[in-house]
Amino acid sequence: MAYVDKEVQAAAKVLSEKLKKLEDKRAILRAPELVALYDRIKTLPAGERAAFGKEVNQLKSKLEQLVRQAQSFKPKALSSIDITAPFDINVPPEQKPKLLTADMGSQHPLMSELATVLDIFYRMGFTAVESRELDDDWHMFTSLNFPKDHPARDDYDTFVTDEDLVAPAHTSTMQNRVLKEFKINLENGKPIAILLPGRVFRNEDLDARHEHTFHQFEGVYVDKDIHVGNLLATFKTFLQEYYQQDLEIKTQPFYFPFTEPSFELALSCPFCQKKGCHVCGYTGWIELLGMGMIHPNVLKLAGIDPIVYTGFAWGCGLERLVMMKYGIEDIRHFHSGNLKFLRQFSLEGIWYDV
Amino acid sequence: MKVSVNWIREINKKYQCSADPMPKGIDALVEKIGSQLGAVEEVVDVGKKYRGVVVAKVVSCEKHPNADKLSVCMIDDGGVVKKVRHDSKGLVQVVCGAPNVKAGQMVAWIPPGQTVPVTIDKDPMVLEAREIRGKVSNGMIASLKELSLGDDHTGILVIDQPAKPGQPFAEVYGLDDYIIDIENKMFTHRPDCFGMLGIARELAGIQGMVFRSPNWYLGDKTISTHKTDNQLLSVKNQVPMLVPRFMMQIVKNVKVGPSSLGIQAALARVAVRPINNIVDITNYLMLETAQPLHAYDYDKVKALSATSKAQITVRMARRGEKLKILGGKEVTLGGQEVVIATDRLVLGLGGVMGGADTEVDENTKNIILEVGNFDMNATRKTAMTHGLFTDAATRFTKNQSPWQNDRVLARAIDFVIHESGGLPARSVYDLKSKLAPPSQVKTKLGFINDRLGLNLSATQTKQLLENVEFKVEIGSDDSLRIIAPFWRTDIVIPEDIVEEIGRLYGYDHLPLKLPTRDHSPAKLNQSLVFKNKIRQILSSAGANEVLTYSFVDSSLIQKAGQNTKDAYHIRNALSPDLQYYRLSLAPSLLEKIHTNVKEGFDKFVLFELGRTHIKGVLDEEKLPKELDRLALVATKNYSNQEEGAPYFAAKKQLENLLHGIGIYKIRYEPIDSKLDKQWKVTAQAYEPKRSAIIYHKDEVIGLVGEPTQVLKQILKLPSFTAQAEIDINALLMQTQPPTYYSLNRFPSVEQDLCLRTSINLGYSQLTDFILKSLGDLSKGHGYTHWLRTLDIYQKPGDKKLKQTTWHVVIAHPDRTLTTAEVNTLLDKVAAAAKVKFKAERV
Repeated sequence: MAYVDKEVQAAAKVLSEKLKKLEDKRAILRAPELVALYDRIKTLPAGERAAFGKEVNQLKSKLEQLVRQAQSFKPKALSSIDITAPFDINVPPEQKPKLLTADMGSQHPLMSELATVLDIFYRMGFTAVESRELDDDWHMFTSLNFPKDHPARDDYDTFVTDEDLVAPAHTSTMQNRVLKEFKINLENGKPIAILLPGRVFRNEDLDARHEHTFHQFEGVYVDKDIHVGNLLATFKTFLQEYYQQDLEIKTQPFYFPFTEPSFELALSCPFCQKKGCHVCGYTGWIELLGMGMIHPNVLKLAGIDPIVYTGFAWGCGLERLVMMKYGIEDIRHFHSGNLKFLRQFSLEGIWYDV
Repeated sequence: MKVSVNWIREINKKYQCSADPMPKGIDALVEKIGSQLGAVEEVVDVGKKYRGVVVAKVVSCEKHPNADKLSVCMIDDGGVVKKVRHDSKGLVQVVCGAPNVKAGQMVAWIPPGQTVPVTIDKDPMVLEAREIRGKVSNGMIASLKELSLGDDHTGILVIDQPAKPGQPFAEVYGLDDYIIDIENKMFTHRPDCFGMLGIARELAGIQGMVFRSPNWYLGDKTISTHKTDNQLLSVKNQVPMLVPRFMMQIVKNVKVGPSSLGIQAALARVAVRPINNIVDITNYLMLETAQPLHAYDYDKVKALSATSKAQITVRMARRGEKLKILGGKEVTLGGQEVVIATDRLVLGLGGVMGGADTEVDENTKNIILEVGNFDMNATRKTAMTHGLFTDAATRFTKNQSPWQNDRVLARAIDFVIHESGGLPARSVYDLKSKLAPPSQVKTKLGFINDRLGLNLSATQTKQLLENVEFKVEIGSDDSLRIIAPFWRTDIVIPEDIVEEIGRLYGYDHLPLKLPTRDHSPAKLNQSLVFKNKIRQILSSAGANEVLTYSFVDSSLIQKAGQNTKDAYHIRNALSPDLQYYRLSLAPSLLEKIHTNVKEGFDKFVLFELGRTHIKGVLDEEKLPKELDRLALVATKNYSNQEEGAPYFAAKKQLENLLHGIGIYKIRYEPIDSKLDKQWKVTAQAYEPKRSAIIYHKDEVIGLVGEPTQVLKQILKLPSFTAQAEIDINALLMQTQPPTYYSLNRFPSVEQDLCLRTSINLGYSQLTDFILKSLGDLSKGHGYTHWLRTLDIYQKPGDKKLKQTTWHVVIAHPDRTLTTAEVNTLLDKVAAAAKVKFKAERV
C-alpha cells in the first residue's frame, strides 16, 4: 500500500521488515515505530490530524491483517515426509535409536515428593485414592455443607465449565465418595483412613507465589471415638517422619463449612529449629494447612451416623513442601516444562554448573 | 477486621463489661488471639506516630508583626519538652498560621525534632526551630490533617476533652493504641466478631475472664415503638422473608457538621474516613456493634416521593431500574436485589449501599435513620452482582441477629442528639416478622469431651461458655442445655458447642494421641504403584517427567487437528490460555519442545502422566470420564541418519517401558477408522502414514507416531520428533510376569533365515507367518524355537524388494538336533513363505 505521508511510508517499511523477523508476530502491534506515529498525531496542527491519523490507522489495520495471516494455522508449503525406507510400523526398533542415558532422566519433583508423602501415610495405615480433575458442584460444595449461594463459596475462585461442572478447588471434592465407598470399613470395625492426592485449581492470576494449578493431599479418617487430639497427633507424626526430627505444632482457629471445629496448623520450622531463618520468615513457625473435625452434615450425606462415628480431615498443599525443601523461588517453574529446572532433579544434577 | 485495643478497653471500662483485655502486653495478646480466635494479619502501633506530640495551652496569641495571616503564640507545655527554649515564664514561642488559634485553647503541639505524624509513613518531615518572618517558631501547633486524623487543615485541632499541658497528646483521644488486624475469613460464621463489642467479649472469653455486655446492648433500654405517624413517613416491607426486620426513625432539626474529635479519632484509628457527624455515627456504631446503619436526608426522600410525605418501601428491584449509589456511580439493577425505594425512585441497595440522591450533607436538616436486617444470601448475591463489597455487605453476609436492631437504633438516636442536636420523632417504625428465638442446643458433657479428647467437668464447661454470655443448665447425668446469646446466630448443633469449648479452652492444650488401629495392612492403590513404576522406568531411560496444565487454549486444540466442540469449555477463566480441558496430553508436551530446543537442549524425551476429558465419554457417575494417560515425546535437533525415522525413537522408549511393566504381546496396526471416540480425537495429532495404533491382545492401548506436518510446523518442532500416548488403566489390568522356559539340557541349533519379499509386505505379517509355520511344524517334532530379527535391508535404489533376516534358535527338550534336521525345517518354512508371499530365500 502506498502512503502519502513520508513518515508513515518510512515506518511502514521498517515495520514490514521487522515483522518478518519477529517470532511473536503480535509484538509488531506494540512496536515503538507504530506507537510513535500515534503519539505524533497529538502534536500535529488540528487541520493535518485527520489525514495523518487515517493513514496511521490504515497501516495499523494492514499490520493486524498480516498478524492474523501469520497466526492462522494453514501452513503454506508442507515439506514432504522424509521416508527413510523401509518404513514399517511393526519393525522392532532394534539397537537404534538408542534410549537416552539414565543420568539425564528425571522424575518431577512434585511427583517424587508425593510418593514420599504417600509412603509415610501408607505406613500409617492410609489408603490412597486419587482426586478428580473435573467434578460437579454437588461434590465440590453441596456435599461439603456449603449451601447454595453461601458466602463461604466466595473463598473459592473455581473454574466452571459451560455445563456447570467445576475444576475442583480442593481435594475435599472426593470426601463424600470415599466416605461412601469405605463406609463398609466401619461396619467391619475398622477405620476409614484415606489419603487423597490430586491436582486442584483456583482461578487466580499467576505470580511467583500463586498458581492456578497446584496439588494437595487430603486426609480423611473416621472411626468411633475420634477426637481433635487424634487429628493433631496424626499430622504431627507425619510431619516428624517427613522431616525426620522432633517438631512442635500449634493451631489457629479457622472456618471451613465442612469441618467443625476447624483450624490451621503451624509447625515449628524444621529448617532452623525455631531459631529463625528465611524459610519461616524469621518467626520460627511455618503455617502449613487447614484441618478440622468432619462436620456432622458431611458424614450424614455419606450415610454415616455422626453420633456414633466422628472423624477428621485435612488438606495440605504439596508445592509448599517441595519449595521449602529445595528453596525453589518461583511456583511457576513446576509447570514450565523447562529442562533447566527439571534436570536438576536428575541423577546428573546441576549439569551446567560443571 | 481491624480491632482497636483502646476501643475495647473503653467499652470494658465504661460499661463494666470485663477486665483489661491486655493484661500481659500486646505480644501476649496477639499470640492468644492467633491460637484461640483467628489469624492476625498485622499489628499496628498507632501510638508510635504520636510519640513526642504533647498537649499545650495557648497562653497568649499576638498578631505576627511582619505577616497578616500569622500569629505568634506563647504556649505552655508544662515544661515537659526539654530541648526547646522556654522563656522566663516557662513558655515556648510558636508561630501559627491557623485562623482559629486563640489564647486559652488546649492544642496538640509538635515540638522541634519530632516528625509530623501524617508524613511518617512516606517522606517523613522532621520539624525544627526556625525563623518565620523574623520570629522563631518552635515546631508547630497541629491540624487534624497533620495529626493524620482527617483531611481538615483549615485550622488547628482544638482539644475538646479534659487534658492538661505536657500530657502526651495520644492519651487524650486513645491514640496510644494498637490496631490488630484479624483475618476476616476466620469470622465467616461469626456475625458478632465484626464489631468491637463482639471482639471484646471474645478477648475476655479466651483469657478466661467473664464478660457482660452493656445494658444498652442486652436490651434493657429499648425504644418503645409508636405505631405510625402518617404525617411524615410511611414505611412498607414487601419482602419480609429477605428483610426480617426493618426499623426507621426520623430525627428533626439536626445540625450536620464535623463529629466530635473523640469519634473522629476512633474512626481514623481503624482507617475509616470521618465524613460528618451523622454518617460518622452510623459508621461508629457499625464498628462497635457489627450492625450496619444508614442515614437518609429526610427532605430529599420526601422530595422524591409522589405524595407530600416520605414514602419508603422495601422491595425487590425491577429489572432495568437505575440507581445512583454513594460516590455517584450509576448501577442498573437486575431484579434480584433488595432495594429501599420511594414510590417513585430507588434510593439504595438494601444491606449493601445507600444512594447518592438521599445522601446526608451539610445542608441536611432532618434525617431518617435505618437499622435493617438483611438476608445473608440475598445480600451476597447483590454484592457479587454489582461488585460492591462494602462494610455493610461484609457484615450482613455473616447473618446478623435481628434482635439487636432496636438497641442499636436507640443508641444511634442518643448519639445523634448528643453529637448534632435534633429532636427524634415519636414514631419508630419497626417492621418485623416473628423473630426466631436464640438457639438452644442440648447435648451431653461426654459428647463434648469425646470430640476434644478432654475430661472437663460440667462446671468447667459452664464457666467457659458463660464467660461469653451463653446460658448453661446442667441436668442430671451431665446433660447440658445451652442457650446461645441472641447475637450468636452461628450456634445450631452440638458440634458448634464443641468448637466453642475447644477454642475457649485452647486447642494447643489438648492431649495428643494417635488413633489406635489393628495390624491389618492398608489397601494398596495399585494404580499409583503402577504409575510410580512407569516414572521410574522412563526416567531411568533418560526421559524427563513434566507436568503441564490440564487446560489449554483453543488454538492448541485446533493446531492438533482436534475440535473444540469435544472439549469442556471453561467459561470464567481469568487467563485466555485456559479455555478448555485438554483432549489429549501429547500436544501439551509438543508445545514444550521448542523452548527447550532454544535453550540448547538438542535431544530429549519428555513424558507426563495426566488426565484428559472428552465430551461424550462418561463414567459410571455420568460425569466426564477421567482418562488416565501417559504421553511421551522424543525429539532430536540434529541430523543423524543412523537413527532412522523418529517413529522408532518413540517406539523404542515405549517398548522399553511396556516390557518393564510386564506388557509383552504388543501389536501395531495402521491408523484406520476403527478407533473409538477417545482415540479418534487423540489420533488427530498424528501423521497417519507415520503412526500406528498400539494393540495389546485385541484392545487399543494407545498411539505412537509422528506429529502431523501442521503441528511440526506451527510448534516449530525439529523434524526428528515423535510422540506416543497410552491408556494407563488398560495396561494396569494386563501386566504379567515374563514367560519362563526350562533351561535346555541339550544344545540348540542356531541358524539365520533371510527372505526377500516385496516392500509392501508388512513386517509383522511375514514374521507372524514364520512363527506360525515353525509352531505348526514343531507339533510333529516337539522342539521349541525362538526368533529374533537381525536386519531389514533394502538395496539403495531398489523401490520394490527388501530382505529380512531372522536369527532362529531351535532346541529339543529330549535330544540333540542335527543341523540337517534344522535345515529341513527351515526349508519347509521358506517354501511355505514362497507359496504364501512369493518370498525368495536368500
